[in-house]
Amino acid sequence: MEIIIAILSGVLMTTGVYNLLQKQLLRIVIGTVLLSHGAHLFILTMGKLKTGQPPILHDGIENYTDPLPQALILTSIVISFGITSLLLVLAYRTARENNTDNMEKLRGTENE
Amino acid sequence: MLFAVLLPLLFAILVPMLSKWKHKIHTGIFVFFIPFLIFLYFIRFVGNDFTPVRQVYNWIPSLGINFDFYLDGLSLLFVLLISGIGSLVVFYSIYYLHVSERLGSFYVYLLMFMTAMLGVVLSDNLFVLYTFWELTSISSFLLIGYWHYRERSRYGAQKSMLITVFGGLSMLGGFILLTVITGTTSIQEMITQTDLILSSDYLPLIMGLILLGAFTKSAQFPFHIWLPDAMEAPTPVSAYLHSATMVKAGIFLVARFSPIFATYEWFFIIVSIVGIATLCWASYMAVRQTDLKGILAFSTISQLGMIMAMLGFGTKAAIFAAIFHILNHATFKGSLFMVAGIIDHETGTRDIRRLGGLLTVMPITATLAVFGTFSMAGIPLPFLNGFYSKEMFFEATLHLNEVVNPIANVIIPLIPYLAVFGSIFTFVYSMYFFFGVFTGPKQFDKLKIKPHEAPIGMLVSPIILVVGVVFIGLFPNSVNGTFLIHAAEAVNNAVEIKDIHFWHGWIPPLFMSLAVVGIGALLYLTREKWSNVYHVLPGKMSMNKVYDGLVKNVDTFSTRLTNTYMTGSLKTYMSIILGTIIFVTFIVMISTNGFNMEFNNLAEVTWIELAVVVIIIIAALATMFTTSKLGAILITGVVGYGVATLFVIYRAPDLALTQLVIETVSVALFLLCFYHLPKLEKRKESTGSKLNNMIISIGFGALMTLIAISAHSTEWFDPISDYFIETAYKLGGGHNVVNVILVDMRGLDTLFEIAVLGIAALAIFSLIKLRKDKEAE
Amino acid sequence: MSNLAVLPIIIPLIAGIIVALFNSKVPITRILTKILSIISLAVVSYISWLVFTEGAIILETGGWIAPYGIVLVADPLATLLVLTTNIVAVACAFFAPHALTLKQEQHYFYAFYFFLISGVSGAFLTGDLFNLFVFFEVLLMASYALIVLGGDKVQLRESIKYVLINLFSSILFVTAVAFIYGAVGTVNMAQIAERVSEVDQDGILTTIAILLFFVFATKAALFPLYYWMPKSYIVPNPVVSALFAALLTKVGIYSILRVFSLIFVHEMELTHQFFLWIAGLSMVFGVIGALSTNNIKLIIAYNIIPAIGFIIMGIGVLNEDALSGSIYYLIHDMIIKTVLFLIVSVVAYVAGTSDLRKMGGLIHYYPILGWLLFISAFVLAGIPPFSGFIGKFLLLKGALAANEIAIVLVALLSSLLILYSVMKIFIRGFWGEKDESGKYKMKSTKGFIAPIVFLLLFSIFLGIGAEFIYPSIESISSYLLDPQLYIDSVLKE
Repeated sequence: MEIIIAILSGVLMTTGVYNLLQKQLLRIVIGTVLLSHGAHLFILTMGKLKTGQPPILHDGIENYTDPLPQALILTSIVISFGITSLLLVLAYRTARENNTDNMEKLRGTENE
Repeated sequence: MLFAVLLPLLFAILVPMLSKWKHKIHTGIFVFFIPFLIFLYFIRFVGNDFTPVRQVYNWIPSLGINFDFYLDGLSLLFVLLISGIGSLVVFYSIYYLHVSERLGSFYVYLLMFMTAMLGVVLSDNLFVLYTFWELTSISSFLLIGYWHYRERSRYGAQKSMLITVFGGLSMLGGFILLTVITGTTSIQEMITQTDLILSSDYLPLIMGLILLGAFTKSAQFPFHIWLPDAMEAPTPVSAYLHSATMVKAGIFLVARFSPIFATYEWFFIIVSIVGIATLCWASYMAVRQTDLKGILAFSTISQLGMIMAMLGFGTKAAIFAAIFHILNHATFKGSLFMVAGIIDHETGTRDIRRLGGLLTVMPITATLAVFGTFSMAGIPLPFLNGFYSKEMFFEATLHLNEVVNPIANVIIPLIPYLAVFGSIFTFVYSMYFFFGVFTGPKQFDKLKIKPHEAPIGMLVSPIILVVGVVFIGLFPNSVNGTFLIHAAEAVNNAVEIKDIHFWHGWIPPLFMSLAVVGIGALLYLTREKWSNVYHVLPGKMSMNKVYDGLVKNVDTFSTRLTNTYMTGSLKTYMSIILGTIIFVTFIVMISTNGFNMEFNNLAEVTWIELAVVVIIIIAALATMFTTSKLGAILITGVVGYGVATLFVIYRAPDLALTQLVIETVSVALFLLCFYHLPKLEKRKESTGSKLNNMIISIGFGALMTLIAISAHSTEWFDPISDYFIETAYKLGGGHNVVNVILVDMRGLDTLFEIAVLGIAALAIFSLIKLRKDKEAE
Repeated sequence: MSNLAVLPIIIPLIAGIIVALFNSKVPITRILTKILSIISLAVVSYISWLVFTEGAIILETGGWIAPYGIVLVADPLATLLVLTTNIVAVACAFFAPHALTLKQEQHYFYAFYFFLISGVSGAFLTGDLFNLFVFFEVLLMASYALIVLGGDKVQLRESIKYVLINLFSSILFVTAVAFIYGAVGTVNMAQIAERVSEVDQDGILTTIAILLFFVFATKAALFPLYYWMPKSYIVPNPVVSALFAALLTKVGIYSILRVFSLIFVHEMELTHQFFLWIAGLSMVFGVIGALSTNNIKLIIAYNIIPAIGFIIMGIGVLNEDALSGSIYYLIHDMIIKTVLFLIVSVVAYVAGTSDLRKMGGLIHYYPILGWLLFISAFVLAGIPPFSGFIGKFLLLKGALAANEIAIVLVALLSSLLILYSVMKIFIRGFWGEKDESGKYKMKSTKGFIAPIVFLLLFSIFLGIGAEFIYPSIESISSYLLDPQLYIDSVLKE
């Protein structure tokens, strides 16, 4: 299953990068979201999947899943959320100010 | 000695203050005492029983960089030239520079240069030498650009800086290599390790780099081009830096390193060829100049070439002659520059075509010029020092060391002829300079100023120099034992003291001298007839064009190149970045045999999981193709909820909860922000671009998957997590291990995760506030 | 164990919150910022003194022993960088009120400024790879906020590229951390180092190492990952550009230095040889970029790239001299880049344009500014006796001792071109005829000059007073060359 999840993460990253390489801002932002999902699943895979119970201590249970990756993912999810929100607002403002959501029209020239 | 070296620099701090009174007292009067005092300090070392003096002052001892001053005969010669000519030049400048000029800046630069030049010739430490060396380039740059409102000055300053700093940097490379090989930073200690250096594999590189420094500084062919443009500097500067002292720093450097390289055949070959080539080319070119200072500039280049060639010959006689000529050249060329300055000052032009017949109006100047030019031409008269060293040069060309090398075998027989060739043109331009200015038809009506003799103060310095010319000419042995021998000793151990005579009998060098005078006179008289030769050579070829082309091309080339990839397009940037990452990482993975796969200990595959995975994959792929805004956002949400489901399946309840909440909020945010934006369009792209995107994205995904599988398949270590499960309750006081980790063990992460959110909130707030502010305006 | 190590991170964090609270009263925030930045500098100076006299301060946060909790490691290298950060920060705090518009100040500039410092200090101090990621996010988030401050069209346009590229590299970072955890089962740097050396840096670890290198190289603006940098560094307010130039790329290069001197040092033939190539290409393309433009701010921005190239060259060579050179150059470059960004921003302000072709003869009106630029150009190019020389000297010496001739020649040539690119501003912008048209009517440069001079004096002292500083740098590099010292001090086994 780990291998399947690794492939799934790979697919998420592939689609993420593909969207990132597009012109329209919305697609690009969606690309970053997909990339983060891929990254989080990678972290999850790196702790062994499903080797035990959720890491909430109960008497008598010896076998728990690896809690550290979960903690790391949680931190990362929250941070991604912060950045995505900022990115959304920024994208909106940029598109508004420059009257286009096409990144290829946002190249800019020197000496302005 | 440290004080003597730093005195000018320290005094320079006072100069801006002193220059405030420049209308009452010319600032130069104060400054004059500085080089003069230094001259007095060092003159006491002169004598038959001179022995080298060493004084060390610490600077950065842990790097071996110290003020390690070593005064030997060679340094002494240069120190006296620097301070002696320096005094005369400052004195001359008092009359040359009007008080309305920015005197403060001028003297600050000049004093800076003095310190720098003294430092160069006294430092035994390579890196202190280099420090002072670059300081000479900097001060020279500032002095050439003194009248920076002139385009030519700026051009000349930039050119000189680029070329000399280029040389300086390559020299630095050579110095560091030497230090690495010998483990010392002292030149004198390196000389004791000559064998080690000569046996190094890097010998050619070391010598090449150091010689580049010397050749650029001493304006050797083909780096000579900066010197004629340096003539934009005020004339006292040309006389001082660009004739008597700074341009001889390269000569000094070669002399300093001669004890190390002398026995290396390529040293002989390169230095001799470059020196002779410079001599011939520059003296040939000097005849073509019309600017008096231009003639003198090319003349200086050619004389430097001659000295360089003699150092290359490396025979005892040649080195002695080189040293002697350094002194002689400083005297006659210094006086000639001052003469040129006087003519410029009193007639308003330096264009030789507009001058003529000044003999009667400027008799004293003319007399000085006679001695200067005739000495430079090497006319065999007993009261001209130039003749002595010129004849020694001819003598030296006839007795070169045997070198077993095919190239050397070709050039050795040619050298005497080339020497005569160069000297013939030296004779021609010397005559051209003198007769062109002082005899011939008077054309005073073409001049802005009515010409008259210079004030006596301006004449003092050139008179002293010309007295030097005559004195050395009449009593050459007075400087021999006291002075030259010690300098020559420093370059090439144990020089036999021999008397310098005017008359040697009818020997080959004399015939060479006579040939120079004879053919030279003939060429001078007929120069109109053969001047067309300059249309053929150099014609359109010139090193100047190469330089200009280079500078211009560097600019245009860099602009063009940079514009090709700095397109401002995010897509291009990302493609290059991703392409590089994928390419290099794959190569590393393959070359380190990094891929491995382990099927043991994997979790089972269940249908539910598989179904979720398939849904996520379909949704992810759909984001690529959907053309509806709303659809794209919702599909992205599906991916997020899918991931949350996976978290549930994989026993991560906290994650699942968080993911659900955040996904919901995100989708809402997406909708809010993109509601007003234009619709998604069908992608209109070329197939090439599409293919490019596909390759990059698939490559990236595949790479990540491969690394993930490999990283996961390693089973070297247990993760550190067991500790968390053991201690979460005991030490952390919580049952939910993930929570305990977050708030306690990795509390710092969480604290700053909150900080990130806070900053993001503040940033978003500020962005929105910004909009409101703008709308309010 | 001492709590001191957390102060350089916490003080700016709290300071940021305080000034955010006083945001509406700009005069108060200005004074508060100055006072708080000086307090921070004083505390950091004290910590530095402790570290350099008594050795590294290790803080196991929350009392959880390494490698399980997060450790902060104030070793000499980290401390030195934090100290330099604070020096630069103080200068910028005094420069900022003169350069910013009231609007920008009201949009929480000072708060973001402190958060940036906090993130940067944290990144230098942490001994935990995932925590490094978190601090990266802190400083990046602050930088996102700073770069859009003001919100011009151009600014927004460049910001979004900046944010996207950095976001991508952050995601890659977190993925690489995951891979490392998967392979060696820990995120504590000391323990990673220990475990990597136990398995002799197996192939997959080298692969992950290169991935991690690319993450940091993107932040550090190395060839060929620097495209996002030059233009996005010239659009924000000059103070912001100066802070970015001094700190952001340097955090990236610091991370490379740390990771590739501590953890991944077992495949030198491959990784470090690769660095030398990157170093050479960064130098070449950086100066080519600097020569390509007439925009004075862009000239300085491009000059960041070759400087980073110099630093990575030392990491590639990895012997004592070269590493000392890298560290020296790092400190030097943090200061001089700030100076240059501040100077050109003042030049652009008084000239009313950033276009070199439209300037000339400024020296008649602004002599002090001109000479500051002149000196800075030589400092930057590494002409002795200034600070750049010491770093370059050590770098070249180390590289030559390791028989890396080609890179040395490239470095020397690029030094020349660096000098040329900056002197161009002096020759064309400051020299020339006095403009009588009143185009450059006297604008006051009061308040601008003092912070620049303050930093420049530091820079000059770094060169002339090298004897006071070099021994510390040397001890840092010998410490870095023996990873076991770091591992032992953190894991205490």
